[in-house]
Amino acid sequence: MLDINKKIDGTAMTVAVSGKLDSVTSADFEAAIKESIEPITDLTIDMDGLTYISSAGLRVLLSSQKIMNRQGSMKVVHVNDTVMEILDVTGFADILTIE
Amino acid sequence: MPEKSIREMSEWERRHYSLAAHIFHSTVRCCIILGLIATIIGLGLYTYALSSRYVSDSYNLSRNAQAILDKTVDVGPLVDEVMDRYHGLSDEIKADPYSEEYQAVFADITEREDYQTVISVLRDFLDSSDVEYIYLGMYDLEDEVLIYIADPDDTDTACPPGTWESTKRKGVKKFLNWDGSGTLYDIAHTKTYGWLCTSGYPFLDDDGNKKAFVLTDVSLANVRHGMKEFVIQYSLMIVVLTVVVAVLQTRHMKKALVKPINEVAGAAESYLDDRQHGVIKTDHFSNLNIKTGDEIENLSLLLADMEKSLGLYSEQLKTVTAEKERIATELSLATRIQADMLPNIYPAFPDRSEFDIYASMKPAREVGGDFYDYFLIDDDHLGMVMADVSGKGIPAALFMMASKIIIGNNAMLGKSPAEILEYTNSLICANNREEMFVTVWIGILTISSGKIIASNAGHEYPVLMGKDGKFKTIKDSHGFVVGGFEESTYQNYSMQLEPGSKLFLYTDGVPEATNEADEMFGMDRLIKVLNDAVDGSPETVLSKVSDSVTKFVGNSDQFDDLTMLCMEYKGPVSGSEDGSGK
Repeated sequence: MLDINKKIDGTAMTVAVSGKLDSVTSADFEAAIKESIEPITDLTIDMDGLTYISSAGLRVLLSSQKIMNRQGSMKVVHVNDTVMEILDVTGFADILTIE
Repeated sequence: MPEKSIREMSEWERRHYSLAAHIFHSTVRCCIILGLIATIIGLGLYTYALSSRYVSDSYNLSRNAQAILDKTVDVGPLVDEVMDRYHGLSDEIKADPYSEEYQAVFADITEREDYQTVISVLRDFLDSSDVEYIYLGMYDLEDEVLIYIADPDDTDTACPPGTWESTKRKGVKKFLNWDGSGTLYDIAHTKTYGWLCTSGYPFLDDDGNKKAFVLTDVSLANVRHGMKEFVIQYSLMIVVLTVVVAVLQTRHMKKALVKPINEVAGAAESYLDDRQHGVIKTDHFSNLNIKTGDEIENLSLLLADMEKSLGLYSEQLKTVTAEKERIATELSLATRIQADMLPNIYPAFPDRSEFDIYASMKPAREVGGDFYDYFLIDDDHLGMVMADVSGKGIPAALFMMASKIIIGNNAMLGKSPAEILEYTNSLICANNREEMFVTVWIGILTISSGKIIASNAGHEYPVLMGKDGKFKTIKDSHGFVVGGFEESTYQNYSMQLEPGSKLFLYTDGVPEATNEADEMFGMDRLIKVLNDAVDGSPETVLSKVSDSVTKFVGNSDQFDDLTMLCMEYKGPVSGSEDGSGK
């Protein structure tokens, strides 16, 4: 239920996710980010087409944000209303850079 | 294919599937077919050999007789006389050789000296051999007849000199055109004598023309009789041979094939019996000692291997199953322990009439990451907590236990909600390698005044039914989730409850419950259900929401934990407004 599309260009990586990011699919999302994050200084999470994010998905965003705080920057793009509401309610909207 | 399994059959039914019977039947069939073929070939050879013997015997007899006659008497004048008279006959007389006129023409021939000499020689030959007839005769191609010249036969089949007998043209030509090589004979069917073999040897005149023949008739009835006997004897022999071969072959096959197969089948049966009775380690196939040196031995060895690996597999399965059962037992214990960690005895505060509270938790798995909590901090202060740990299952449950205890303990120290969250956050962040977090709403109600001081760490908006009797979400200000960042700070805010107000707290499992069409329950449906149950007690409100969510979800799996809390503020007890407090 989740499509993950990863593009790496030097030290910049864009991970596009569409579908539902729940406790099952979050494991794939986490693996996709973690396996290539080491040299990355510029991480973009593209949420175009993402309809739902669960707390397990938020956990992946949080740990990615923590890593990028140390080695570069991270931003989240194309957030739809439903997901934005979840980010607002959980306070994630305040700690993430959302464009 | 048998309809029932071989194990359900009686001995008698099993016999139909006996290999020994198959072998017996097929051996008998083979023997009979082979016997028939052998009989036909044998009969052909036998008939040929017997016929050849008859032919050559009679041919030799004719030849000998001719040689003796040739030395004894000159048959030329006799032959010429008879033939001349025959040729001189009118067609009328010629028609019936046994008429008196016909016989009269040749009557005086028998008185000739040379005739009697010929008869006497031929009779000697006839008496000393087993041929039917031996006589002197000559063929006439034109009339297709044989004319008798001298016949020593004195029975009623006797042919006087000059009488003729019709003969097939083919036979006549064969004799008249014979070039002297091989055996001269002809086999023909006659009305009078049946199958008859006639062989002969000619007298030649000075020009080498055939003048007459010494002819010998042998009846082939003897050959037919011999054939009959041959068939009877041969068939009898084949029947005996068939029975002997079939019995021996069956006995041999039983020993070489059926017995080992039955041993394997017996082992399989014992194996199945043992398995049905729960015996896992068996050695029925390993104990088979089949040394046939063929596929059956191979099969028994393979089955022994299979038995061994199945035994091992079953043992492993047993261990795995036991392990699974242990985990299941532990999980169900964990479920109960987790449920018991949350206050769940109702009415929760039977001696407090100022408020009524009810809460429930339904984990998606055996244990969940959601939790609620409520407790009296002192006589005038009621603490309420609603929280949701990231993830699900055992990791979430462990994290939830720790969070609940830290929050509860800090609340009992009299801290404000924001202080409690900040303290809990720093404690959890200090040691959170798995980067788990928990969303928390915590509120403290001053019972005497109806004022709630609350703080929200990334949790869902609370829903409040106020003065107007309608449930509305309170868009409170949010802090970040607990366990996310060490430096997170939280704000307190306040809500004023009126007597009759109801506060509804929940986790995301409620609005995010999903049906089969992949639609979420959502806040709008939640608010509507709450407003439908606006007059109910907290317990009624929760059961209405729970029913509504269950109905909405239908057959799709419960995706997330379902946790709710409802508190109804009834107002201070009269006369005790300033009786207690901080």
